Amino acid sequence: MGHLTHGEFFSKLTELFDYRKNQDHGTINLVQKRLSYNTTTTTDKTDPLADLNPSTSLPVLIRATNAKGKDRRKEKVKLSTVVEPADLEAFYGRYADVCKKGMGALKPRDRTKRKKQSRKKKPAGVGAGGTSMMAIP
Amino acid sequence: MPYYEKSEDWLHQSALLLQARPQTTRVTTSYSLRPAIRPSKAEKLAAKEARRAKESTINSKSTNSTTSKTSTTPAASTTEEPPKDATAAAQKPPRGHLVLKTFDPHSGVCLKYKTSKAAEVGRLIQMLGQLGRRMAALPVDEAKEASAAQVQAQGGDVVMGDAAEEGTAAAGSGTATPAAGGASTPAATGAGGAGGGQGKKKKKGKR
Repeated sequence: MGHLTHGEFFSKLTELFDYRKNQDHGTINLVQKRLSYNTTTTTDKTDPLADLNPSTSLPVLIRATNAKGKDRRKEKVKLSTVVEPADLEAFYGRYADVCKKGMGALKPRDRTKRKKQSRKKKPAGVGAGGTSMMAIP
Repeated sequence: MPYYEKSEDWLHQSALLLQARPQTTRVTTSYSLRPAIRPSKAEKLAAKEARRAKESTINSKSTNSTTSKTSTTPAASTTEEPPKDATAAAQKPPRGHLVLKTFDPHSGVCLKYKTSKAAEVGRLIQMLGQLGRRMAALPVDEAKEASAAQVQAQGGDVVMGDAAEEGTAAAGSGTATPAAGGASTPAATGAGGAGGGQGKKKKKGKR
């Protein structure tokens, strides 16, 4: 399957996340790795550590799936795109936006915990305050 | 493999692994949803109901006339059960969590980090970006990254701890400062108590 352009990838990824929003279970897997499939630069036979310090920078492969197994092959969505080294920062900027919007089921930064803590402390404080209030008049 | 407590540790170790095996290492981000009420619990309840129903049917089999009634009632109860679960699920949105995994199939090293906080997503994607730079074999200015990691360590995860402690600190200061004010003001000891009371009232207003 061919790789998508960044725009297509992001639009499909948002679709994937939106689809997941309407369900109460499921998984989305995002994978990134160095694209080393059709690269001719590495010559492992001459130098076993050639891949540690490649002369040129390599593209990064990004994949996204909805984690459906073999038995649901028809429902499986597989997206992939290749990010050239020059586009990395721009790509990750958009990637972060899409992921932030898509991962809505994570816990929001909540302040209820603090409130609960203060409430727990309040009775003791109020008790002390009550005595002082009694002492004022 | 165990999960790392801090995302910075995960990033550091992942970067090292990527440095050692840049060709084969992959980073997987898994975002999964789970219903707020686990199906296992609901199933357990349903199983209990079914068992009870069975027992009742067994008991009632001795009296032939009631079997038909008992057989209908459990069915009715089971039909009642799912809507309850459904409403509960509707009240509580499904929980999500995010697992970051760095895996190298050649050496079998697997590094994981798990979180359920939405606030962390941006930072984690930024980390993915840093790892992406390493994957692309772009020059990484490590000093900058290290400093950024430190800043994140101080301003990110640790702040969460601070935030948790903030309540206590605020409570402590709330009680302490008015008392000091009372001591300094010429309104004497009674005012000190009043000041404490005011401080508490102010706190109430803030909330």
